[in-house]
Amino acid sequence: MIPELLINILITTVPLMLIFATLFAFTTWLERKALARIQNRIGPNKVGIPCTRIGLFGLGQPAADGIKMIFKENIVPRGADRLFHLLAPILALIPAMLVLCFLPLDFPWVNEDSVKAYLLDGAVIFFFAITGLNTLAVFMAGWASRNKYSLLGGMRAVAQMVSYEIPLVLSAVIVVMMVGSLNAAEIAGVQMRENWFVFSPWGFAAFVIFFIAALAETNRSPFDLPEAESEIIAGYFTEYSGFKFALFFLGEYIAMFAISGLAVTLFLGGGDGPGVTLDQGLPTEAFPGLAVIWFLMKIFALIAMMIWLRGTLPRLRVDQLMGFAWKFMLPLSILNILVAGFAWHAERLGNTYITVTTWVISLAILYGAASGLNQLNRGKVRPREYKYAE
Amino acid sequence: MSILGGGIFKGMAVTLRNFVGSYINKKERLPTNDYSWRADGALPQGIGDYPKEKGEQLSDTTTVTEYSRNFPMLLHDGGEPMDTVRCVACQICERECPPQCIYIEKDYDENGKYIKRPAVFDIDVSVCMSCQICVEVCPFDAIVMNSQFELSTPDRFGGLLVRRDDLLKSNDYYHQIHPEEAAARDQKMAVEKAAKEAKKKAAAEKAKAAAEKKAAEAAKEEAE
Amino acid sequence: MNEVIAFWILSAVAVLGALVAVRKRNLIHGVFALLVFFAGLSGLFLLLLAEFIAAVQVLVYIGAVGILLLFAIMLTERVAGDDDRRMTSRGWLWGLVAAAAVFVLLLLPLSPVQQLSMPKAQDPSEFLTQISDPGSDGKFGTEEYPKFGKDDRKPVEQLGRKLMDPYVVTLEVLALLLTAALIGAVTAAQSVRMPKEEDSPE
Repeated sequence: MIPELLINILITTVPLMLIFATLFAFTTWLERKALARIQNRIGPNKVGIPCTRIGLFGLGQPAADGIKMIFKENIVPRGADRLFHLLAPILALIPAMLVLCFLPLDFPWVNEDSVKAYLLDGAVIFFFAITGLNTLAVFMAGWASRNKYSLLGGMRAVAQMVSYEIPLVLSAVIVVMMVGSLNAAEIAGVQMRENWFVFSPWGFAAFVIFFIAALAETNRSPFDLPEAESEIIAGYFTEYSGFKFALFFLGEYIAMFAISGLAVTLFLGGGDGPGVTLDQGLPTEAFPGLAVIWFLMKIFALIAMMIWLRGTLPRLRVDQLMGFAWKFMLPLSILNILVAGFAWHAERLGNTYITVTTWVISLAILYGAASGLNQLNRGKVRPREYKYAE
Repeated sequence: MSILGGGIFKGMAVTLRNFVGSYINKKERLPTNDYSWRADGALPQGIGDYPKEKGEQLSDTTTVTEYSRNFPMLLHDGGEPMDTVRCVACQICERECPPQCIYIEKDYDENGKYIKRPAVFDIDVSVCMSCQICVEVCPFDAIVMNSQFELSTPDRFGGLLVRRDDLLKSNDYYHQIHPEEAAARDQKMAVEKAAKEAKKKAAAEKAKAAAEKKAAEAAKEEAE
Repeated sequence: MNEVIAFWILSAVAVLGALVAVRKRNLIHGVFALLVFFAGLSGLFLLLLAEFIAAVQVLVYIGAVGILLLFAIMLTERVAGDDDRRMTSRGWLWGLVAAAAVFVLLLLPLSPVQQLSMPKAQDPSEFLTQISDPGSDGKFGTEEYPKFGKDDRKPVEQLGRKLMDPYVVTLEVLALLLTAALIGAVTAAQSVRMPKEEDSPE
């Protein structure tokens, strides 16, 4: 009984880990090259096949980086908490990897018996619960370094991540409300039958909010205040070197993949594409694995968007960041839920005129609210007051 | 009233143009990879590669452009280095160096008289920040910047202190690695030397004229 | 069989976490041990097939309450744990007696349950019919919906409907309570910065 269960679990989890680790390596290479090209330079192009001078556009760079990080000296500051210093990067990596099993990736080698965690009835809420463990790892890292600047950076990072969790979850609630289930496979299935949720006004607003909040959750530019090099050196992972830093890095990128995967599942159809149809409850594909390929391509589109935004936008200051979360995203996501609720009821009536009117009205309401909030939060420029002059 | 998020979209359009343009329009979008300053306009073989031959000193200076600078060197005008070294150990560069990485000791001969040569001239590689202030203040054009970058050594303390004999390089080497600047410096030195010679000649002539006048006056006084 | 092993492991983790949490001198270590306890508890909820509650336990307790505790400790106290705090009190015997009494009290309602054998896949629908459900259509436990997971009414939906129908007043009162707590927190944080700019340059 136990070896069978173990095999069924391993069939789903081990390929996931291998595939996403490879994708992580590819993404670091892609990010460096893409950022370089945006910044008018070529990225790494020397490290190709080892022991030769053939640089395959620098594709060996991730391997070289990995080898370098493994051989670096492992420094723990004197007086720091050794146990937590070791535990923090592990705690940053494990939730990110764990949460990958909640994405509805139907690999071709998976049969009926294997354990599919995305068929859990509460898959989406598990996703958010486990992503919340990242904040804990960040705090642990900041505290265990015995460095007041690391601690400060860690606290700021935790404040940022906690503030942006709320719009993240609230925009996912809209999709859950429309579908009526927290089951990841069912949400993806509903989008295969009907339109993707991103093509409706409230779904589009929810997608934008989700994407921005996902950027903030994974500490990605323009929200990378905790880990920016010109800020508090590297914030909460200043004192980490070698393999522990590599684990943080890995955890951040895999969290990026996981949240992009959730965004694809919730809003972009998750596996839907030409060649994949929903036939009597089960998706059929032109060839096995096509749904997975579409899923991964959509994840890559979102990752490319994240890299593009990293190359474009400057970094937000901490008060701008928090103001954006609490004064703009939160009211907008709550309003979005209201609008989506009305639209759900309106669509149930079945009348196309009412549906179209609802769409137009909700578009107008959402856009108006967003612009209104924008105007409200605009910094007021007052004439300068002199206390002592004149 | 602008569209919500319009600024972000404009920024993203700019970066997209940069990205696509770096493949299509290489000359405009990748300016640092432009090698047209080279006489033949083409890239020499293996340019940008890390040089693998550790042979001559020139191996790591020909793969960088002629404008690159890394670390100072002392100039001598050919032949035996310590005979024609330009540095007189005036210690101006030691005093002006911001991170204070130069250490100089004057050279004295057997009688204790000061010869115009440095006995000890050490520069610490780990401290020097290549600011070129020592080059700017030297009144004798004795210290200039080298572009040699292979300075790492496994010895963390003694190996990073470059001594006088390793710092001495000939003026011909200087011409080879930085031709424009070496030519300009030689011309400046020649002009200064010519001005000094002209001044000396004028002073000598004036002294001769004064001496002649004095002799003429003395002769006139004797005549009376 | 798997479930029994899982139950013992999770309980051991939870109890150990709780013990470490109350005995450790270093407060931060104690809080992290408490978070391990919460995680063990969440695992036990999963064993009871209450996956929504398990997820919410992680989300709320570990993700929010734990962070809150850590912030509170960080901002108020020296946490190095090198002060000589005495961790034993004089009335420990009476404390032990009280803990044993609570333990016995908690075990009393569970006596009709069988010896920790987990129900098989068909049985949870029986549990669900035991809960009085005014809004249900009586679909459970019938031939049409024998297997758990293919029901129309999943536990989450059941929870949602119960929150809206019999327990909506509780929900609203809780919402008011949370709002009051939020406003109180904002006011408490703001009142620290009293405006001291009374003196104007006149």
